[in-house]
This record gives sequence, structure tokens and C-alpha cells, in this order.
Amino acid sequence: MDWQGQKLSEMLMQVMLVAFAVGAFGTGYALGSFQTMLLVYAGGVVLTTLVTVPNWPFYNRHPLKWLDPAEAERHPRPKPQPAAPSKKKPVKSHQK
Amino acid sequence: MSPFVNRLNTLVTFAVLLLAILCAGASFLDCFHSPAVQANVEVLKVNRFRRQLTGNDEVLLTLNMSIDLQSAFSWNTKQVFVFIAAEYETEKNAFNQISLWDLVISDKHHAKFETQVTSKYLLIDQGSNLRGKRVDLVLHWHAMPITGRMILGKIPVSSFQLPKAYT
Repeated sequence: MDWQGQKLSEMLMQVMLVAFAVGAFGTGYALGSFQTMLLVYAGGVVLTTLVTVPNWPFYNRHPLKWLDPAEAERHPRPKPQPAAPSKKKPVKSHQK
Repeated sequence: MSPFVNRLNTLVTFAVLLLAILCAGASFLDCFHSPAVQANVEVLKVNRFRRQLTGNDEVLLTLNMSIDLQSAFSWNTKQVFVFIAAEYETEKNAFNQISLWDLVISDKHHAKFETQVTSKYLLIDQGSNLRGKRVDLVLHWHAMPITGRMILGKIPVSSFQLPKAYT
């Protein structure tokens, strides 16, 4: 998943869960059955899980552009500099 | 945590939070639900009225009842516990309340019925004050919801007078 995909997935998750919660409450109240409300809501949660959690291809429509390996070799990583001698007396000794 | 587990965690947390809000909402709606219970309970006869060896009075009654508790049930009701209490006052206690009969109703369709039955529990006094006593019968019910606080209710149904001598 790319960044746009993650944003879409999160937004979908919140919208779907709230919509199913409201829908389940209304259905249960209208039919006078607490069990109906719970079943509708449980179904909604499962559906939301199937849509938002797995890594579907439509979440990857703006893929990240990683640097080409040939290009990366032309700019090697800078080597770490040796530590400069300190003027003050060291209080602690650093372990690398 | 991988992004997959991350998303699953977020989803489950949010889903459970919404479930809690749904249950609170269902419980809140019960505030606006006011039952209209109809009941009639009367004492048909006094089967036994005597004094125990401990010195306490004891009464066994036959009750004739017709009860309609269907309006006490809402979509959020698990069961209704109903009991009939005999209430009276004595010199020793300002208020006595003794349960004579009770029943658990789990279904709305079983909440309307008529029956004649002997009292499940004996009316036993603390002392010997029942001869000639005027006793009120009150129908109490406790409606237990699926989510939320228990709702109590009661209506007085009838009163009767115990005989002046032991039978």
C-alpha cells in the first residue's frame, strides 16, 4: 500500500463502520430486535475488514518512486568521520 | 507491527468502541419507554393461619391473579422478574414487606396470563401481630435490560383483612 492508499483505507474504514453502526441501530430499533442490530453490525464489521485491511491493488495506484539502483551507486553513502579529539575532560566514556 | 496488523488493530478497536456507543444508545432510549401495566390480584381464601412454635404468625393463601406485563418489555429487555408482596405495618416495624409469589418472564408473549395459585412463600411475621390485620398486596416488577440499568416498577393491586382468630 502507498500513502494515498493508506489514507483511503483509513477513511473508508471509519465511514463504513459508522454507517453500519447507524444502520444497525435503526434496523434493530425499527424491527424491535436487539439481536438484529448486533447481527447487522457484525456483518458490517466483517465487510469493512474485507475491504480495508488486505492489501488490495486499488490501494497501490500511486506507488512510491524508489531510487534506481544504478543511480544510487553514483552517490555513495558518506563514510563516518573519525571522532575529533575533545578539549574538555570526558565525563563518561562512550561505547560504540 | 506490520501495516496489515496495524490496520486490523485500528479496525477492531474502533468497531468495539462503536459497539459500546450502540449499547449505550439502546439503553438510553429506554428512558423514554413508560410501561402501562395492568394487573389484578386478590386473595381467594386463607388456607392456613396459625402460630409457629417460634412465636411467629404464619399464613398460607390462595391467590387469584390476572396480569398483563407486555408493555414492560422493550427491544432491550432480557427478562422481567415479577413478584407479589404483602405489605403491612406493626408496632415493632413501621413497614413490613413479604414476597408471596414470584415469576421470571423471559418472553413478551408469556407476559399476559391469568392463574389461580397458592402462594409460593409463606407470609411469616416477625412476632404475632397478624390477627385481624389489614394487608395490602402490591405487584412489583424488575425489568432487566440486555444493556443498561434495571428498571423497577410497582402498582398496588388489592388489600385484604386477615381473620381475627387462627384457623
